[in-house]
Amino acid sequence: MYRHHLRRRPARLTVAAAVVVVGLGLAACGPETTTSDETSHILQAPGADQPEGEITIWDRSGDLFEVFEGVIDDFNATYPGITVNHIAVDIDAKLHNTLITGTDVPDGVFLDDAKIGGFADYLWDLSEVLAPYTADIAPQKLDVNTVDGGIFGVPFDLDPGLLFYNAAALDAAGVDATSIETYDDLLDAARAYKAAVPGSGPIHLEQSAFLGQLQLEMYASQLGTSIADAHGELRLESPEFERILTFLDTVREEELGTRAEYLTPTDLAELENGNQVFYPWAIWFSFAPQQLLTEAAGDWRAMELPAWDAGGPRSGAMGGSSFVLPREGENADLAWLFYEFLMFDEAGYTAVWGPNDVYPTGLNTSIPSYQPAADPGTPLFDPVDALGGQDLWVVATEAGAQIPGGAPTPSWWAGAVDYLGNDIQRMLDGDLTPAEVLSQATQSIQTNLVDRQ
Amino acid sequence: MRGARRRLAPYVFVLPFVVVFLVFSVYPLIFTARLSFTNWRGTGAAEWVGWDNYTYLLTNPAFWNSLGNSGVLWLLIVPVQIALGVLVAVLLNSATLRLRGLYRVAFIVPFVTPLVAVAQIWVVLFDQGYGAVNALLGVFGLPDVGWLTTSTWAKPTLALLFLWKTTGFIVIILLSGLQSINGSLYEAAELDGASKPRQLVSITVPLLRRTIMFAVVLQTLAVFQMFAEPFVVTQGGPYNSTTTAGYYLYNHITRADLGTGAANSFLLVILVMALSLFFVRLLRAKD
Repeated sequence: MYRHHLRRRPARLTVAAAVVVVGLGLAACGPETTTSDETSHILQAPGADQPEGEITIWDRSGDLFEVFEGVIDDFNATYPGITVNHIAVDIDAKLHNTLITGTDVPDGVFLDDAKIGGFADYLWDLSEVLAPYTADIAPQKLDVNTVDGGIFGVPFDLDPGLLFYNAAALDAAGVDATSIETYDDLLDAARAYKAAVPGSGPIHLEQSAFLGQLQLEMYASQLGTSIADAHGELRLESPEFERILTFLDTVREEELGTRAEYLTPTDLAELENGNQVFYPWAIWFSFAPQQLLTEAAGDWRAMELPAWDAGGPRSGAMGGSSFVLPREGENADLAWLFYEFLMFDEAGYTAVWGPNDVYPTGLNTSIPSYQPAADPGTPLFDPVDALGGQDLWVVATEAGAQIPGGAPTPSWWAGAVDYLGNDIQRMLDGDLTPAEVLSQATQSIQTNLVDRQ
Repeated sequence: MRGARRRLAPYVFVLPFVVVFLVFSVYPLIFTARLSFTNWRGTGAAEWVGWDNYTYLLTNPAFWNSLGNSGVLWLLIVPVQIALGVLVAVLLNSATLRLRGLYRVAFIVPFVTPLVAVAQIWVVLFDQGYGAVNALLGVFGLPDVGWLTTSTWAKPTLALLFLWKTTGFIVIILLSGLQSINGSLYEAAELDGASKPRQLVSITVPLLRRTIMFAVVLQTLAVFQMFAEPFVVTQGGPYNSTTTAGYYLYNHITRADLGTGAANSFLLVILVMALSLFFVRLLRAKD
């Protein structure tokens, strides 16, 4: 038995060696990991007047997919030779693998602005095709799409931060929200409301680490800054960020806030019962009064954010998306025509934001980032019943026009949530001071994200 | 000629498996090993960084925190699940139990229910301000608990979800083990006057030992690779207190830090293999 075992050992070793050799051979067939080509990656528009071909467009499933689907007929009226293969895809799950493998790569993809920097190496630089429009695009959207001087996305929506407030509850408490002009005014209004409604927490304090960081970026965008500059250098330890965190810490310390995750049951209940009456958030919060609130629907209104200094900008950007065109896509130039129509042609952007089959009164959770389309005097969507018939278009476009530029989004933004996002929450727990948040997060982000790029 | 064919036949039979094994196991393993020594981010040049990814992870508190979280979850889940699984399996195996088929189906339903749907229910049930669980506590005059918002309670809440979701599967495994135990052993024990609890301790558990160990190894793998539960319920929070080893690994991948992700995978493989070997050795020692 033992001898038999010994006889088999060389055979086993041979098989194992063969497996390793074949495996190594296969591994050598893996994706190219050594060099990158030096060819130009600047997209050119197609030359033909009536170009022909098929394009594959990825969008997230849901209402926006349906909205874009509805625009395809309008697009084909202008470009009858282009067939649009429109697919609903879990983009977060599939895009990265698709780009790495280069298999079945779509021609155009809907992507969060915060993720564009991370994919820039795979994307067409759109500087040339966008050149006729860049002067009219919101500066903040150009910032988030710009990497090393190239523009890697067709800006879609602008999501201006607004101050949503429960007008009925505030009126009942004798607090005039419309007189709020600065964040100091907001604190005073919150104090007055709390005095009138003991036990309330008038200002929303976000409890999700991710959304808390996104909201921080909204406040920072208002001050013309962001986590990192255009060269990827951290700039958290600055008077602007200290000021924002001190404001949030004051809300916590004076018990002027309701700490809850965005639109979770607790958050919704506190919005309904009048305990939480100020919600500084992006325009997409308007979804809540329209779809989720029952008792307080109609009581809420929107206004521009307070300014940090009297006379300063009254809005900052919070979130947003763009369209990117992968280099490996077969007909990216035709996909550009699709997005050009969608964003810069009146028929296109009117079909997106104007009344349509999905939104009979128009898409009112964002505004166009193309400024000629975001004219306060030419509304695309109707006044919002759930906001008491308020003309949200005017409020949002006037706020959007004030968003300063100079706030790029680094490719590692989402990864920073583990550090900055969590540290903000620790501050809201009372465990860290604003200065500690900024120094601790700076060190962690530098070590774990910036230095490892 | 016939002799040569006969010698070749086994190799031909195993060839399809070998091909699949090479392409889908050996190749990814070796490619990942190579990747773990580079800083490749999915595009461009991959710079050889030696052991840098490994030293980064092994000196990073976040990596150890993720292992610690998985370890605590293991302690909260596996012993409870095995004890509960044995008890339920014994009850379901009882000849006197009516509607056995119905109970068996009831226990497996959570396992086949989509996790995302269950997770949403969990979020609502355990909401701090308006969840049913805190409402129930309120009936007894107990204060609200931040089940998903405090690092103290997030892990037990997640463990509870995992227990509810997967215990039915463990019960099925243990049930199959129970059904292989010779019934005459119980008859003999009854003749000797052994009570039911005594039979459970002296017959059932010892004879189920191999099945139990199998279940322990399976659940150890599952807990250390746990990803979907924290992803949909807590997103690894609060304060990374539910960032499991599997979720931490995922974070590297989503940030396109593929080299570190590959190194993390290997460290996890080593850990899980060591744990599995430990349990196998334990089983052999008892044999």
